[in-house]
Amino acid sequence: MTESKVVDLLAVFPDLEPAANAIEHLRALGVHDECMNVISGIPVTEAMLGRPHQWTNVPRIAMGGALLGFGGGFFLAFISPYLYPYPVQVSTQAFIPGPPTVVVLFELTMLGMLISTFVGVFLDSFFPNYRPMKYVPEISDGKIAILVECPNADERKLRMP
Amino acid sequence: MSDNKTHADHGAHSAEHFREKHLMLDPLPRGQMNDMVMESMLEKPTWKFWIIFAFLSVVVAYFLFYKWGVLIAKGQGEAGVMRPDYWGIFLVNTVFWIGISHAGTFISAILRVFKAEFRRPFTRAAELMTTFGLVQAGFSIFMHLGRVWLFYWLMPYPNQRMLWPNLHSPLTWDLLAITTYLLSSTMYLFLPLIPDMAMARDRSTGWRKNFYRILALGFRGTEGEWTHLRNAMNIFAFAIIPVMFSVHTIVSWDFAAATRPGWSSTIFGPYFIVGALHSGMGAAAIVLAVIQGTMKHMKYFVRGEHFDAIGKLMLIISMAWAYFFFNDYMVQWYGGDKWTQQMLHFHEAGPLGWMWFAMLICNIAIPWAILWNARWRATPWLIATVGIAINIGMWFERYIIIPISVTINRMPFTWRLYQPGIEVPMGIGTVALFILLYMAASKLIPLIPVWEVQEGQMAHELKKFGRETVVSVSELE
Repeated sequence: MTESKVVDLLAVFPDLEPAANAIEHLRALGVHDECMNVISGIPVTEAMLGRPHQWTNVPRIAMGGALLGFGGGFFLAFISPYLYPYPVQVSTQAFIPGPPTVVVLFELTMLGMLISTFVGVFLDSFFPNYRPMKYVPEISDGKIAILVECPNADERKLRMP
Repeated sequence: MSDNKTHADHGAHSAEHFREKHLMLDPLPRGQMNDMVMESMLEKPTWKFWIIFAFLSVVVAYFLFYKWGVLIAKGQGEAGVMRPDYWGIFLVNTVFWIGISHAGTFISAILRVFKAEFRRPFTRAAELMTTFGLVQAGFSIFMHLGRVWLFYWLMPYPNQRMLWPNLHSPLTWDLLAITTYLLSSTMYLFLPLIPDMAMARDRSTGWRKNFYRILALGFRGTEGEWTHLRNAMNIFAFAIIPVMFSVHTIVSWDFAAATRPGWSSTIFGPYFIVGALHSGMGAAAIVLAVIQGTMKHMKYFVRGEHFDAIGKLMLIISMAWAYFFFNDYMVQWYGGDKWTQQMLHFHEAGPLGWMWFAMLICNIAIPWAILWNARWRATPWLIATVGIAINIGMWFERYIIIPISVTINRMPFTWRLYQPGIEVPMGIGTVALFILLYMAASKLIPLIPVWEVQEGQMAHELKKFGRETVVSVSELE
C-alpha cells in the first residue's frame, strides 16, 4: 500500500514573466492547473499567466439578493397596505399607487443586490479566515507567488529551477 | 549625427517631462510605494495636528453633542423654526451633506466605469468623504426629528396599533434611499480597502497589526480572491450610480412633491443632483489639496494633473448647474403665478437678497473666472479656494430653497423671516465632526489605494508616433 503524500510549495517570483514561465514549466512536469494557485499584490488576470478562467459566484449571489430585495419591496408596496386594520387612503391616489411603488421596489432591489454582492465576496473567498495559510508578506510588495498543493508529486522535480 | 542626438535628447527630455507630470508614467517599486503610504499614515502627528484635533473635539463635544442635549431637553423651540418656517438649517445641512457625499461615488464609480485613469490615487479619499458626509446628513436629519429616540418609527414594520409607515410619503422614501446609499457606499469603501489592509497588516506591529489583520479578513491575494473582489467592485460601480442619483432625486421630491411656490418643479431632481456634484467636487478639491499639502509623500501620489482633472470636472459641473438654475428660474418667472413672483422678488430683493447674489458669484462667477486656465487649475491652493467658494455658494442655494422659500407662501399673514437659533452651532459641530473623522481616518486607513495605482502604472507606457511621444494605456482587465 503506497502512502499518499501532499507536496505543498510556495515559490516567489519578482515579476509576471518568470511567474508565467514557471506555470508553463510546472504544467510540463505534469502538475495540473487545479493544483496551482497564484498569489499576487495586484489583480493579475488569468490570461496574463495563461491560467484557466476563475469561477465566481458573486454575480449569481448578487442576482439572488436582488430578487430577495425585490420581494421585500413587493411586500412593503403591495402587501403591507392590506395589513392595516383599516385602509389608509392618501389624497386621490390609488390604494396601491404606481409611482411610489416604483421607488420602494427600486430601493429595496438595489439594497438587496448590493448587500448580497458584498456578502458574496465573503462567501466565495471564505472571509473572514484567520487560520495560518501559505503566504509571504513580499506578495504585498509586488512579488508574485505560485502555490503548489499537489498530491503524489515528486517534490524534488518541482524544486528544480 | 547631431540631428539624431538632438532628437534623442528631445525624446529623453520629453519622457522626463511626462514622468514628472503623470503619476502613471512615474512608477516606483511597489514596496517603496507601500512604504510611502505607510509612513504618511504612521508619521508621528505634529503639535499642530494635535491642537487642531483637540480644538475640533471640543467643538464637536460642545456645539454638536451638548447643544443637541439642550435641544432634546428643552425642545424644538430652541431652534428658530416656527410657522411658516418649519424647515430650517437642519434640513439645509441634511441636503448639503448628502450633496457632499455624491462626490465619492461620482469619482469612484462613474470614473471607474469610464476608466478615467486620473481617478486612481484619490478614489479612497473621495469614498471616505461619501461615508463621513452621510454620517453628518444622518445627524442633521435626526436633529430635525426632535424626538430623536423615536426615529425607529420610520422603520418599515408595524407599530403597536398594527400601522405600517406610509410608503406613499417622500419622507419614507428618504429613509429607504439614504439607508441604501449609506450601506452601499460604506461597503463600496471597504471592498477595495481589503488588499490595502492586507498590505498594512504585513508591514505593521503591535495593536495596528491586529487591527489590520482583522480588517484584512485573511486576504492573501489568491486568484479567486481577486476575481471575486473585481467582480464585486464592477457590480458596485455600475449599481451604485443609479442609487446615488435616486438619493438626491428623492431628497428633491421632499420639496418638489409639495405644491408650494418655488418648490413644485419638474426639474428639481436633476437640478439637485447637479448641485450635489457641484458641492461634492468642490469638497473633493479641498480634501485633496489638504492631503497633498499636509501628509508625507503625498506630492508623489497627488499631482497637478489630478487637480487639473478635478478642475475641469468642476468647470463642467458649474456650467451644468448654471443651466439648471436658469431653467428652473425661467419657468417659474414665466409662469406668472402671483406668489411665485413674490417669492422670486423676495429672493433677489428681500433682506437676504445678498445671499442670492453671493450664491451666483460663488457657484458661477468664481469657478468660471479661475477654472478656464490650465495652470490655475493645477494650483492646489487656488482650486481649494474655488472649492470653498462653491461650497459656500451651494450652502446658500439650499438655504434659499428651504427656509427663505418657505417664508413666502399663499398666506401672507404668516410670512416671517426665519432666524436660526441652536441650529447654527450644531451645524458648525457637524463640519467639525466631518474634519475630525477625516483626520482620524488619515492615521488609520491608507488614503491611497496602492494596488490600484500600481495596476494603473502597469497599464501606462510612452509610445512614439513618428517624432511625437504620446501616453498609451492598455486595458488590463
